[in-house]
Amino acid sequence: MNQFLYLIPTLIILVGAIVLMFMSMYKRFNVKNFIVVSSFFLIIALGFTLVNISTSYSVQPYPHFLNNVLTFDSFSNFFNIMLIAGTLLTLLIGEHYFQHRSYFKGEFFSLLLFALFGMMILAHSNELVTAYIALEIASFSVYIMVGYNSDDAKRVEAIFKYLVLGSFIGAFYLLGVVLIYGATTSTNLADILTFITNANSQDMVLIYIGFTLILFTFLFKIAAFPFQSWLLDVYRGAPMIITAYMASTFKIAIFSFFLRVILEYIAPIVDFWDGIISVIIILTLVFGTWLAITQQIVKRMLAASSIVHTGYLLLAFIALSYKDGHIINLASAYAIMFYLIAYLLSALGAFGLASHIISETNVKVTYDDFKGLAKQRPFLAAMMTIFLFSLAGIPSTIGFIGKFYVFTEAISAGYTTLTIVAIIATIVSVYYYFKLVAMMYFYPAKEECVSIEFNDKRVSTYAIAFVAILTILGGIGSAIVFFIPVMNIDTIINLTQLSVQSLFIK
Amino acid sequence: MSADILSFIIFLPAVVAVGLMLTTRDINTIRNIAFLTTTVILALVLKIYIEFEPTSGMQFVTNVPWIETYGINYYVGLDGFSLTILMMIAILIPTSYLLLWEGKTKGYWINMLLVQTGVTGAVLALDVVLFYFFWEVMLLPVFLLIGQYGFGNKVFTTIKVTVYTMVGSLLMFIAILYLGVSYHNEFGSWSFAYDKLMTITTIDYNTKVWLFLAFLAAFAIKIPIFPLHTWIMETYKNAPTGAVFLLSSIMAKLGVYAIVRFMIPIFPDIYVEFSTWFVAIGLFGLIYFGIAALMQDDIKRMFAYSSASHLSFISAGIFSLNSYGINGALYLIIAHAIATGALFLLVGLLQEQTGFKTIKDLGGIAKKAPIFTFIFAVMLFANIGLPGTNGFVSELLIIFGIYDFNHSLGYIAALTVIIGASYMLWMFQRAILQDRPEGSKELIMRDLKIKEIIGLIPWVILVFLMGLYPEIFINKFEPTVTHYLNDILHIGATK
Repeated sequence: MNQFLYLIPTLIILVGAIVLMFMSMYKRFNVKNFIVVSSFFLIIALGFTLVNISTSYSVQPYPHFLNNVLTFDSFSNFFNIMLIAGTLLTLLIGEHYFQHRSYFKGEFFSLLLFALFGMMILAHSNELVTAYIALEIASFSVYIMVGYNSDDAKRVEAIFKYLVLGSFIGAFYLLGVVLIYGATTSTNLADILTFITNANSQDMVLIYIGFTLILFTFLFKIAAFPFQSWLLDVYRGAPMIITAYMASTFKIAIFSFFLRVILEYIAPIVDFWDGIISVIIILTLVFGTWLAITQQIVKRMLAASSIVHTGYLLLAFIALSYKDGHIINLASAYAIMFYLIAYLLSALGAFGLASHIISETNVKVTYDDFKGLAKQRPFLAAMMTIFLFSLAGIPSTIGFIGKFYVFTEAISAGYTTLTIVAIIATIVSVYYYFKLVAMMYFYPAKEECVSIEFNDKRVSTYAIAFVAILTILGGIGSAIVFFIPVMNIDTIINLTQLSVQSLFIK
Repeated sequence: MSADILSFIIFLPAVVAVGLMLTTRDINTIRNIAFLTTTVILALVLKIYIEFEPTSGMQFVTNVPWIETYGINYYVGLDGFSLTILMMIAILIPTSYLLLWEGKTKGYWINMLLVQTGVTGAVLALDVVLFYFFWEVMLLPVFLLIGQYGFGNKVFTTIKVTVYTMVGSLLMFIAILYLGVSYHNEFGSWSFAYDKLMTITTIDYNTKVWLFLAFLAAFAIKIPIFPLHTWIMETYKNAPTGAVFLLSSIMAKLGVYAIVRFMIPIFPDIYVEFSTWFVAIGLFGLIYFGIAALMQDDIKRMFAYSSASHLSFISAGIFSLNSYGINGALYLIIAHAIATGALFLLVGLLQEQTGFKTIKDLGGIAKKAPIFTFIFAVMLFANIGLPGTNGFVSELLIIFGIYDFNHSLGYIAALTVIIGASYMLWMFQRAILQDRPEGSKELIMRDLKIKEIIGLIPWVILVFLMGLYPEIFINKFEPTVTHYLNDILHIGATK
């Protein structure tokens, strides 16, 4: 019974997805009902994950039934909290958008929960094939959501591109798994670790090739160079709120699995890829920055800037290295997790807010469409400013602390040059983020946008405001201004430490 | 209360600003409460000024953990340097409110309050990361002020000034991180407090030079030191009066202050080695900006160059490595803040009233607005450094300092004062005294209102008081300077 407790959140999400699927057979439920039901399941699941937030544990329940392919530890629990919270916030922020697009039906919410289920399993898995299945459950749900309104030609392009390229890169993953299996005769990562620690260098060739192929999948999914080209069109074509979901929550799920693999299972050979990754970091930063400056559409700019954020995250990855039987620089793993939280909040806020303000119109969301927002809807403009500042890493937002953390660890690991490149990317990012702020505050509104009547008293607005408050709170901490020691930056850091350390519980 | 008085001073304006933003839309209420807030702060700062013991180092210290994992503390405190700047900020801001009183919107006042939190925090912060925090945050309200209330090509100007200053700040940021990591590697624990970072010994010479330059980039852009000045002309021309006042009178001084507070103590050897260069660059900037100011026709641009010229002089004084130079520079910081602040506000008024921006369009102001002209003249003379004003004392001290440092540079410094006098007086003659050519349209110009006169009188009094009895002010910060040179830099105060 005790072991069953750990399975509950995942199962709740699965049950929720199935319930929603059955509900969508009936005509009498409208979008609002679906939102309420899916939020209900998400909140319950979130409650169950929050119970274990501050305990350190690591179990592989029901070994006979699950064959040790799933690990339930503080690490996966922490990621589950982020994933569930990300989905919940996406749902709530998107409430406005969902209600003004006729194509959102019940199945959509079912798919959303299936995607979440896949991601949660991905965070738990410690076996390569299980991870692949989980990744594909999540990916396929996201593919469908990307192409949900097939009337739009852009959307068809997006889903096709994403589906074909995603499946193609999935084949690389499988090839990698096969090669690793060929060397180790197992796909369970624990066995692979045993093999790596005992093998001599000749046996390792297949392992290196296999994991390099798996690394490609990872880089594709997080849109690092040279696999970044799909991102702009897919993000552009997808429904706005799905873009928010992909940019924030889905990305985190990918990181959860690969962080686990790197920290726990392939730690001894982790330095093998340092050279290639440092080239990738530089190119990712350069290309992402270049793409971001040249965009006219805000959604594409945010999408391109998410490539730059991938570059920052990889900077913390490269800082991890292995020496004398354990990972040194474990702090950069904490930095990755902290940065993921920071990026979750700010990207979700920025994309979500953009989807919120265009819910009742069909504009493209170019920079021009943001003109005069501060005059018409000052609080939304202020919140957008907070998110953009957070993405740009301006102090007093959580993005600053995230950058501080990642850059400090990178310098500490000796990658000063790479950090300088990242800083230069940050300087340029100030330009494209502040350009949007300038649009909101310094220009009069365009005429066709003025007449729209806004009703801001709705769930979406409150959800965005909540994210904005978290963004500020995470950047200032409550200790200084409010003298409450609870919701401090250190609290978050301690949680990331706790969860990373639970990986090493034997 | 007394222990946290500094925190109170820092955060009061921000709290009031947020409160006002959420509660009211009435412009009069906002303005009155904002003004009241700044006067409360002025009273508190005066209280600190009286309680301050010149000889006993850091005072009113609060040091509580902020991000414990990285040893970042909320560490604020006050010594002679920061007291001087704090005093300057506290006096200047309420007075500027009186001059900016008319015709401003809600956002203007809220941004002004937020700026005050930023600059006060930057002055009092002793932890480098905390300092960086305030240093960046203080820029954001100015960004909004310029973009919303500026003139001309304001959006381009705003983006330019933001990116320009951000380049410097982020370079400093990476230097800060590097220092923190070095401290961690040497001592095994994290700390970003400036007095801890001073104890680092493991950084090799070349790295130190790079770190020094990274810090310098941030501060030299804000001050601005030649050749990083290219943002100021456009900004000062297009920005609203309030923002120009903040940038020139307060933030530029913060750059100088930050050099004294963080850069020199952390890299004393580099500083000593390069000081000749910096004094020379400072003097070159003084001459270069002075000549540029002579050429200007736009009155705000002229003041922009004049301000840059004086700030170069201040940096030359700071870099001259002796107590004359540093005392003089600190004194000139206040003198210049008062004089330039007043001049920018008066010019803003002039521009608003007459609608003209250029010197050749103006003229005959003296007859129409005698009180305006009188105060304008006093500030002008203080700016030039006429004996009897505070400008004289400080310029004299700096020239002594530079002379002590290097005789030939000292002669140059003494001669450059003439340039300052010439552009100022020439402008004064053309724009204020001389009548406009026959047949041109009548200028519209009102004289100062009672409120504005009340606001400016303390400044006029200060100009003369500081000019005639400098010791009562210098005594407050001189022990700090002596201690600084002796103990921190290990350089004899008198050399």
